[in-house]
Amino acid sequence: MQLKRPNPPLRLGLMAASCALLGSTSAKAQTATDEKQPWQVDTAFLYYKENAGRLQTIEPIVNLKKDFGDQRILDGTFILDALTGGSPNGAIPSRKPQTFASPSSASITPKAGAKTTLYTIAPGNLPQDPNFNETRVAGDVGWSQPIGIDNSLSFGGHVSTEHDFTSAAVNAAVSHDFNSKNTTLSAGFNEEYDQISPRGGTPVAATDYTLLERQANKNKNVAGALVGVTQVMSRNWLAQLNYSYDRSQGYLTDPYRIVSVVDGSGSVTGYRYESRPGSRVRQSLYLSNKVALGPTVLDVSYRRGKDNWGVNSDTVDTHLRFDLGHYVYLEPHLRWYRQSAADFYHLYLNQADPLPTYMSADPRLAAFTATTIGVKFGIKLSHIGGLSLRLEQYQQRPTDRSSPLTQLQGLDLNPGLKAAIVQIGWQQEY
Amino acid sequence: MQRAAAAPGDPQSYPAAPDVFIEQRDGGLVAACFFAMASPCELLLDTGDLEQAQRIGLVAAGEAARIEAKFSRYRSDSVVSAINRSAGTTVELDAETAALIDYAARCYELSSGLFDITSGVLRRAWKFDGSDRVPAQSEIDALLGLVGFDRIDWRAPHMTLAPGMEIDFGGIGKEYAVDRALALVEAQSDCALLVNFGGDLRTNRPPAAGPWRVAIERPDTDREARLLLDVTQGGLATSGDTHRYLVRDGVRYGHILDPRSGWPVRDAPRSVTVAAGSCTEAGMYCTFAMLNGAGAEELLERAGVPFWCLR
Repeated sequence: MQLKRPNPPLRLGLMAASCALLGSTSAKAQTATDEKQPWQVDTAFLYYKENAGRLQTIEPIVNLKKDFGDQRILDGTFILDALTGGSPNGAIPSRKPQTFASPSSASITPKAGAKTTLYTIAPGNLPQDPNFNETRVAGDVGWSQPIGIDNSLSFGGHVSTEHDFTSAAVNAAVSHDFNSKNTTLSAGFNEEYDQISPRGGTPVAATDYTLLERQANKNKNVAGALVGVTQVMSRNWLAQLNYSYDRSQGYLTDPYRIVSVVDGSGSVTGYRYESRPGSRVRQSLYLSNKVALGPTVLDVSYRRGKDNWGVNSDTVDTHLRFDLGHYVYLEPHLRWYRQSAADFYHLYLNQADPLPTYMSADPRLAAFTATTIGVKFGIKLSHIGGLSLRLEQYQQRPTDRSSPLTQLQGLDLNPGLKAAIVQIGWQQEY
Repeated sequence: MQRAAAAPGDPQSYPAAPDVFIEQRDGGLVAACFFAMASPCELLLDTGDLEQAQRIGLVAAGEAARIEAKFSRYRSDSVVSAINRSAGTTVELDAETAALIDYAARCYELSSGLFDITSGVLRRAWKFDGSDRVPAQSEIDALLGLVGFDRIDWRAPHMTLAPGMEIDFGGIGKEYAVDRALALVEAQSDCALLVNFGGDLRTNRPPAAGPWRVAIERPDTDREARLLLDVTQGGLATSGDTHRYLVRDGVRYGHILDPRSGWPVRDAPRSVTVAAGSCTEAGMYCTFAMLNGAGAEELLERAGVPFWCLR
């Protein structure tokens, strides 16, 4: 060691070396177990198919999750959605053939030069646009981390884009643990902004379908808030109660949906573009229970939805997970859903009645009950990953589907929907 | 190539944290006390929250236990023992061990070869038991053939150690554990903290009521050698040879060995305490000072760090 001259190199050198050592390890402030946290990658292919030649989609989903230690978690999901098939346009079946224009041409009396794709529906069939074709790309990213000892913060964003619809959203939530972490209170908000630019322009609500009245592109926003409490009830029972409030404002109408207009006999005389109120408030109360019965886990939840449009709903959802040995599990799923119709829902409009301000024949706003029955089968491959197969069947049964009018008798005006879902998933850690 | 993993194959399989005892101290402080690294250890917290003290005391204790299990040369299942058993085969080191080796390499350069993690084999000849047994020069010469950091083939993360050579993290391990433990507990707390492992310590900031009052034990038969210091920030480390020495022909040989001669460093201070930014840094100044023997104070003065030497 060189003692005979001033030695700042020693001081600087040792400082740098110590910083390199401590910085390389303590900046991460990790315990050894954290060093092993890998990226968890879930890949899935979802196939969804509706009956009667209606929509089908193939959807690759990739979810990435990384635990950076100390409960700091990054989570991202990417979805590519290719929808094809027929989509009901809202009109009712008729005794006569009906001709419509696909939204890209948007009129059955096209102007010169306009590209027109017409489709004709055979008597008795539910009118649906067979040319529906849409690709959606969506991504979600979220971050959560503890703040201090008993609080945590999470925030995230979402973007989704398709040909005629772009959506962006942000959300944030905080939670606070107390009662020795047996109770968690959480509160969050979200804000979504959507831009709607329909193919062929945005129709003017409630106008005659043949008149091709168009207006500028529209947008809407959704603001929501949520408060919840999660309580450990006992060693094997976890309960959660959430209340959420969402307010949508702006253009809430479906630009592609129409409503049939009929005369006194039930013969179709025309169509109107649908028209919905410019604001909607939805509230929901959600109660969920997770109960571990030995290795079997039961998850039962109930949701009560209240809507100022009149679409009030009840949902009961049950999952049961059985472990069949160390590597295989089985998860039966049963869901029951009921909703009332929107106040402005009409199967069709009567020509003789005054035109209502708001009207829609969207089957999603009708009164119906729906059931989902499914099962998921999974194989855990220790240290490598897991493979799962989910099979589900969804059936929607509308309450209101017939008419006493002569020309409409015997026709199923809202035949409901059956769909099959197949999802194959692969989970792996990198 | 094998990985220098602690047997039975998992360097992360460290023991559970030792028992932690909570004590209330004067000035509204709480101490979480435990025993690790052959030393009494404590974490002092400027808080009245005993539950928090218990919880993060366990974090500090767990980290001490982890580092001890991973790097102690006394434990046959440590990474250091695995390296020392490698007998000429190349081993791959994990990131943390590699960072410590890099640090040791830098300290070897900064001390012109005085600080050497391979010098431990010299202890096979030297037994510092208070006796007058001085080894034969031939014995020392034979061992010197196994000493020299520059003889290690170190290309991170791969290390090849010649058969018979050994490394240890004396002078680094405990101090590093103090800094690591502080970083971990600091991330889980927002109060003033002091981590003290057997007199090597580090703090993030002083308590609200004023600086930490630290007593450094420097046992000495002749004098009252307890050093009382006020610490506000950074690390503090102490080295000494109070109990480990030989006396032969009136010459006192301390246990600090010069890796170049194979003999104890002459005229090293009985004890040296240094304050620096981190405990790791402070500890290395102490080691450098001891290795410099009579030149200890001069080295520390030139470095410009606060120090307290006892001769």
